[in-house]
Formats: sequence, structure tokens, C-alpha cells
Amino acid sequence: MATEAALTVLKNGGLVVYPTETLYGIGADATNSGAVKKLTEYKNRPFGKPYSIAVLDEKMAEKYVELNETAKNLYREFLPGPLTVISRGLHKVAPGVESEDGTLGIRIPDYKLVLNIVKKFGKPITSTSANASYKKRPYKISDILENISNKQKDLIDLIIDAGVLPPNDPSTVIDTTLDDPVTLRQGKIKLSVRDEILSKSEEATQNLAKELWQKYEKHKGKRAIVFAFQGEMGAGKTQFTKGLARAMGITDLVTSPTYALVNEYHGLTHIDAWRLEKSDELRALGFEDLIKNKSIISVEWAERVAETIREFDDEAIIIWVKIELGKKDNERKISWGVEE
Amino acid sequence: MKILAIDTSCDETAAAVTQDTKILSNVIWSQAAAHAKFGGVMPSLAKRMHEERIDWVVNRAIENGKCKMENLDCVAVTVGPGLSIALGVGVDKAKELAQKFNKKLIAVNHLEAHILSPLANLQITKSTNIKYPALGLVVSGGNTQLILIKKIGEYEILAQTADDALGEALDKGARMLGLGYPGGAILEKMAKLGDPKKYKLPVPIAGQENRKMFTYSGLKTAMNRLVESEKPLTKEKIYNLAATYQDVAFQHLIRIVRYCLIHNSSFKIHNLLVGGGVAANVELRKRLRKLGKEFGLSVHFPYSNKLTGDNAAMIAVAAFLNPKYVDPDKTDRDPQLKLSVI
Repeated sequence: MATEAALTVLKNGGLVVYPTETLYGIGADATNSGAVKKLTEYKNRPFGKPYSIAVLDEKMAEKYVELNETAKNLYREFLPGPLTVISRGLHKVAPGVESEDGTLGIRIPDYKLVLNIVKKFGKPITSTSANASYKKRPYKISDILENISNKQKDLIDLIIDAGVLPPNDPSTVIDTTLDDPVTLRQGKIKLSVRDEILSKSEEATQNLAKELWQKYEKHKGKRAIVFAFQGEMGAGKTQFTKGLARAMGITDLVTSPTYALVNEYHGLTHIDAWRLEKSDELRALGFEDLIKNKSIISVEWAERVAETIREFDDEAIIIWVKIELGKKDNERKISWGVEE
Repeated sequence: MKILAIDTSCDETAAAVTQDTKILSNVIWSQAAAHAKFGGVMPSLAKRMHEERIDWVVNRAIENGKCKMENLDCVAVTVGPGLSIALGVGVDKAKELAQKFNKKLIAVNHLEAHILSPLANLQITKSTNIKYPALGLVVSGGNTQLILIKKIGEYEILAQTADDALGEALDKGARMLGLGYPGGAILEKMAKLGDPKKYKLPVPIAGQENRKMFTYSGLKTAMNRLVESEKPLTKEKIYNLAATYQDVAFQHLIRIVRYCLIHNSSFKIHNLLVGGGVAANVELRKRLRKLGKEFGLSVHFPYSNKLTGDNAAMIAVAAFLNPKYVDPDKTDRDPQLKLSVI
């Protein structure tokens, strides 16, 4: 009964308030731009803020987003459930549903009624909480109605009331796009000169950093010097930069630049490219000026921005350093070379 | 004092209006509000997004605060630390508003705001009787710092991040488990379902707490090895690995805080203020409260989780409690700002 009524409204581009295992959501046909516009008006927020969508299963999700390994694992282990998984969108939804950089959040609610509606509708519906922006989280219908204007009320075509929902948190959102094989594959690096050692302790690694610095210190002030690091999480890229900084006489505390993207020390700029989505985003961090000023730069996750780093191989001396975990706990296989 | 505050230190565009420490509005535009806080960033896009949103966010904050620009006393803004090009957007907007409406401008240190965030809504939180010196703990994506608050505005760092911040370490742990990024929040959920004793991970610098630092690089490496050895991962394994990793990460934090409490007992500290995104973690709260009991400390958290992650309400609170008036013509962002500078 509720399902039939919901289908009629959705087909006509209307808005349906519906219960889920987390909060009350508000649904519109995610492929109908008129319906999405109406939703944006209801939510009272400017165009351009993305909506996640509810689908039936993994198969249906694949019509709207590209699922990588990480996403597939999450789907298999945790969906349906209170989780929104973000992937690269395939631009099959109405404008304004995907984010500005083309990603899309997918939800498979653990709630039969919603799955039924989506199944019969054959298209995804928006899955955003039914409150207007910055208003109370809706666990019951009055939470919604008491906090919106009459104009907003008029925009709702149907309310499916399931009483007071259990006080669960909103769904947890996970972005899987950072694990895209596409971004990880870019930038294989071929070196003409290549050295390799097996470091058996943190101390040995720091000594190697010192040796490397001493070898290239002669270029200081004449050319920019870039130490470009590759190595998985926990390999010791920041530790190596600590060693470099110490060898350069820098007394500042060198910490991971993952969050801030760039850390400036007296005489060394430390960049983390892990969260950069495109190679040329390195320029937005002022990389070109750093090169022009003949700076000394350490770049973690350099393979992600290798293309852009390479563009400066005339102005800068670029030392590629690869750090891999060895067989034993403290062992690291470290190889390095200069691209020529 | 009515303050409009702006924060654009990282991915969020945020504005808030406060009356003294009372929060009248707190608007945060991140994908998180409706959707997600993205792990990936495009600095050039981030700048553009801040620019596109700042007016809307500021207007919304004023509107929700039921006031007018004319009735405000001051404009406050985060000048650092943070992502340089992002900070610039907020600083420029604040300068523009201060000059246009002839308001005083207050420069705020984002870290100080996290420390003081538990003092928001003093009347409600009943923390009006906090005596100084007190202890401040910031646990966020960018920082882990334990600070001696001699009085508001006078700080001494007792211990700080040596490599990864706690929030960052949790996010990265989640990623190793294939939970996406940033995954600190989901790691917490998984950890609740798991058994922290199923696996063994080394507590960082256990027995060397006198080094007074928070370090997670070694734990990260050990976790990486452990996860690799346990592949293929099942749901059960993910729960237990998440529980173990989070448990050990918190154990380390608590050990360092305990060490610093013991070695600063001459200050007669009775209050601990905890701010930053990880302050929303229920398990961490539990452990800090337990530690508080042991040392006779009252532990204070922000009264709402909207004040734990990056937000502008805490900026306004810090601006009220420790106003640093600055000349708009001479004010600029300072991405590497340290706590003692402002």
C-alpha cells in the first residue's frame, strides 16, 4: 500500500519521506532533474551539494558508480547496512546528485520497505535525511514538521510514518576513491642509475638519509632538490625525511604531512601527495614556486604526482627513493636513483 | 560580546555566531553534513569551493544566529595552522567584513580553539569553575598535543605528535583494513564489535614514556604486517583487528598523558579539557574519564560533537576567551602557526 503510493509520487517527480534503519530520509527520483531540484528547494540548500542514493544491491550500484576492490569488499561485508560508500560516479544521475568532482555516495538501507520501493521503481532514489539543512535529525515525523516552513511542507508529497525510529546514528560515510587502481597505477618510474640497500634498523635508515643528503648537498642553492618517495603505508617515508632534515641541520620536529598536505621547515618543504587526486594538483600547493626558489623538497607518495614532478627535471635534481618493508620487523629495502 | 567567526583551515567551510561562549549558530559545509567528508582533496578545487561557499555559509550563520551583521561586535578568523590556500579564503573574507562593517578583527589559532572548545556554552556545561593550571588535550586529524594551560592564553606543550596524529593514525588503520578513508569513525564502529585481545600489536614506546611524544609510525607498520598476514580478511577478522589497533593506539595516548600527569603533579591540576575530532570517540572518552578518576581530574569534552571536528563555533569561543585584536591591513594567514605565537 505504502509502496504503491510511493511509486506514484516518485514517478511524478515528487518527494517521499520514508523510514530507514537510521533516520527518516527523503526520496526523489535521482535520475529526474526536476525532482532533484525540488528536493534541493526543500532541503533549503544551494545547488551543488551532493546527495547519496539508495539502490537495491551491488549489481544496481554498478550502473551508477565504478566499484573498485575496496568498495566491493565493503558491499559484500557490510551492505545492506548503515553505511554510505562513495565511489566514482558514472554520471547516470541528475545534475547535482554527484559531487563536484564526480563522486557519488551509495547506500543500501537495511530496511525492507525502502528496498521494495527501489526494486519496483527500478531506479535509485535520493537518500538524504528528511530534515532541512542544519535542522534536527529526524527520528519521528514531528521532528521534521516542527522544524520546517509551510512552504517546505507543501513540497512533500507523501509521508510514510513508521512511528519513532530507534535512536541510531546516521550512516557512516566511507570514501573508496583514494584506492582507485587508476590513480595508483600512474607514474611508473624508470631510473638510469639505481642503488639499493637492505637497512636493518631505523638508525641505518637515518644514516642512509644522511649519506644521500651529503651526496646531493652540492646542488643546494644552484638547483632545486627534490626527494621523491614511494612506499606503502607504514614503510617509513616520514622517518626517512626526519633523517634528511637532521642531516640538513634542521631542528624542527618533522611530522607527517598527510593531513596538512604541506609542512614548511626552515630549509625544507615536506609534501604529502597521498590525498591529491590529480598529478597537477601539486602545482596548486605552490610546487612551481618552490622549484623556482631552488628549494629542497621532500614528496611522499611521489608516484601519484610523478608526471608533474618530472616536468621540472631541468630545473631540479630529482632523487627517487623507494622504501619497501623487508622480511623481518625492522628491515627495509631502500632503493634510490636519479632520473636522467 | 557577539562574534562572527570563520574557519577555512582545511576541507570545511565554516562560520558561526556566538554570544560570549554561547553558540547561536554553527554552520559547517563539508560533504560530511549531508554526505561525506572526502579523504581526497584537490587543493585548487578546495580553494574554489571555499570561495563559492563562504558567502552562503556566513549568511546562513548570521541568519541562524538570528542577528544582523550590524549588531555584531567582532569578526574572528582562523589564521593558522592549516592548508595555506584554504586559510586565505577565510582570512580575506573576515578582513573584508571587518572593514566593510567597521568591526574589530580577532585572529585565532585553530589549535587553541580545539583546546578551548569544551568551554563552549559554559552555563550549560557547568565548567565555569575550572581552575588553572589545567590540562588540554587535542586529538584531531592533524594534531595530538598535550598542553599545560597555565591560564587561558598561556600554554606549554607537554607532549606532541612525533609523526602521525591520532586521528590520522586511526584513519590510516581503517584504510589498511579496506574500510576506505577517512575511516576513523567506521573503525570505531568495527572495534566495538571486535575483541582487542585476539591479536597483539606493540604499544608505541612502551616503557619510554619519558620521551613525551605521541608516535604512531611503528604501530602503523606493525598493523600493516599483521593485516597482510591475516589476508584474506573476513568480517570477524576486521572487527578484531580494528579493536586491537584502536585499543593499542589509545593505550599509548593514555600512557603518555598519565606520565605527564605524574610528572607535573606540582601544578595541582584538577581539570582536563579534551578537543578535536577524536574527542567524539566514545571509547576514548571512557578511558580518559577513567584516567581522570585515578588522578582526581574532571574531564571536559565539547558539549556537542559538532564542536569536535573542524568548526567555527570553537573559533568564536577562543576569540571571546582570548581575544587577539589585529589590524585587518596587516593580517595574513600563517599555515605553520604554532600554539605560543598568538
